[in-house]
Amino acid sequence: MNNNALKVDEKDNIAVATGPIAMGSAVIVNGEAVCNAFEDIRAGHKVALVAISSGGKVVRYGEVIVQTTQNIKQGQWVHVHNTRPVL
Amino acid sequence: MEFMGYQRKDGKYGVRNHVLVMSSVACANGVVEAIGRVFPDVVTICYSYGCGPAGEDVRVAARTLAGIANNPNVGAVLFVGLGCEGMQSGRLAQAVKDKPVANLVIQRDGGSAATTAKGIDIVRRFLDGLRLQPRVPAPLSALVVGLECGGSDAFSGMTANPAVGNAADRFVAEGATVILSETTEMIGTTHILKRRAATPQVAEQIEQMISQQEQVVRDTLGENAGMVIAPGNIEGGLSSITEKSLGCITKGGTTPINEVLKYAERPSKRGLVLMDTPGFDIDSMTGFAGGGTQLILFTTGRGTPAGFPAVPVIKVVSNSTTFKAMPGDIDVNAGAVLDEGKTIEEVGSEIFELTLKVANGLLTCAEVNRSAPFNILKQGPTF
Repeated sequence: MNNNALKVDEKDNIAVATGPIAMGSAVIVNGEAVCNAFEDIRAGHKVALVAISSGGKVVRYGEVIVQTTQNIKQGQWVHVHNTRPVL
Repeated sequence: MEFMGYQRKDGKYGVRNHVLVMSSVACANGVVEAIGRVFPDVVTICYSYGCGPAGEDVRVAARTLAGIANNPNVGAVLFVGLGCEGMQSGRLAQAVKDKPVANLVIQRDGGSAATTAKGIDIVRRFLDGLRLQPRVPAPLSALVVGLECGGSDAFSGMTANPAVGNAADRFVAEGATVILSETTEMIGTTHILKRRAATPQVAEQIEQMISQQEQVVRDTLGENAGMVIAPGNIEGGLSSITEKSLGCITKGGTTPINEVLKYAERPSKRGLVLMDTPGFDIDSMTGFAGGGTQLILFTTGRGTPAGFPAVPVIKVVSNSTTFKAMPGDIDVNAGAVLDEGKTIEEVGSEIFELTLKVANGLLTCAEVNRSAPFNILKQGPTF
C-alpha cells in the first residue's frame, strides 16, 4: 500500500500527510492502514494516529510539540485549533 | 570504517587537496582574482573587509580566515594583503601551522602586477608539491561534517532533514564529529536540546546560546520578530515554534550533544556538537569551514546551488519537484520518501554512502558547478 502519511519517530502519536487525505479514506503509514481520516487532512498537516485526551501530549520527532485542548479522536486533524504550545 | 584522505602534519585528514589563495582585505581582491584566472582549479577567497569592522567582528573574522586556511581540505595557502590594513595577512599566515604557507603584501611586493606574478610562481610551486601527495587510508573518526539547511519548504522537516539526521547518527556511530548550527532555527527547542546535553555545563551553554539569539531576534526585528519566532507556516501545518524548529534540528540526529562551539571554533569533542551560527546559510557554512569541517550536508526544499570554497557541499532536496526542476544542482532526492516509497533510513543510508564517496574524491554538484559563495558573519557597524 502506498503511504500517504509520514511518522518520523516510533514515539510519534501523529503522522504528517504527504498529500491530501480525504475524509473516510485510510491513513497509511509504513505500508499499513492505521485508521480512517475523521475529516479532510491537507498535505503537510497532522493526523492523530491514536485518540488523545484533552491536555494530552502531541508527539512528533519523538518530542512533545503541542498539548491538546480537547479530546482528539483517532484520524482527526491536529493543529492550532485543538492544541496549544507547551512552553 | 575508513576513507582515503590527505594527511596533514597535525594528524588531520583532508578530503580535498586544494591550493587556497585568500585576501586579508578587500583592496587585495584584484590580485587574488588575477591569480585565480591563471589557475581556475585553485580555490580563491575574496574577503570583503579587512578594514572597517571593529571589536568582536574583527576577532570573529581573524579566527574564521585563519580557521579556513587551517582547514584540512587546504593543502597550501597563499595570503595576499595590501599592507596598511587592520587584518594583517602576515599575522594570518603565522596562524597556519600544518601546511606550506606564503604571504604577499601589495605595497611591499611591487604593486598589483608584480605581486600577481610572484603569486603565480608561488601557486605553481604549491601545485607541484601537492600533485605528488597520495591519498592514504584515514579513519572515519577524522571527519567533521557540517549540517546545514537553506531554502527550506514544508517537506524539509518531513524528508530531507530526518534523512540527514539518520546519516548524522551513522557518522557519530563511526566516531566522527557532526556539527548542527543555525541558532535562530533552534528557538523553541531549548528544553529538548538541553535534555540531550552530555553534561550540565553543555546544557547551560545551550540555554545561553539560544536565549541570547532569541533576544537579538526580538531586539532587531521588533514587531516583525514573529516572522522568525512564530511557528513558521501555520497554513502549511506547523502548530508551534517547537514543531518548526524540531524540523531543523532533526538534521542533528538523536545522539547526545557533547559541546557548544563559537562561530568558526574547532570542535574538541567527537560526536554531535552545536555551533552558534546565523540561519543565513552562507555565513553558517563559513563558520563550519573555519571550524575545520571537511564536508557539509545541506538540505533544501526550494533548491539552492550554493556550495562553499574548498569544502564539498552535498545537496539533499526534500521533494522530487525541485529535484527535477534543477537538474545538476542536487545530489540526493529525499523526495523519494514521498513518491517512491523509500524510508527515511534508506535515504539516510544513501546520504551516508554518497558522503563517503565524496570524501574519497567524487565531486558534488556544487563542485562541478564551481558554486562557492563566501561571506563572513558580521554583526557590528563598519567604520
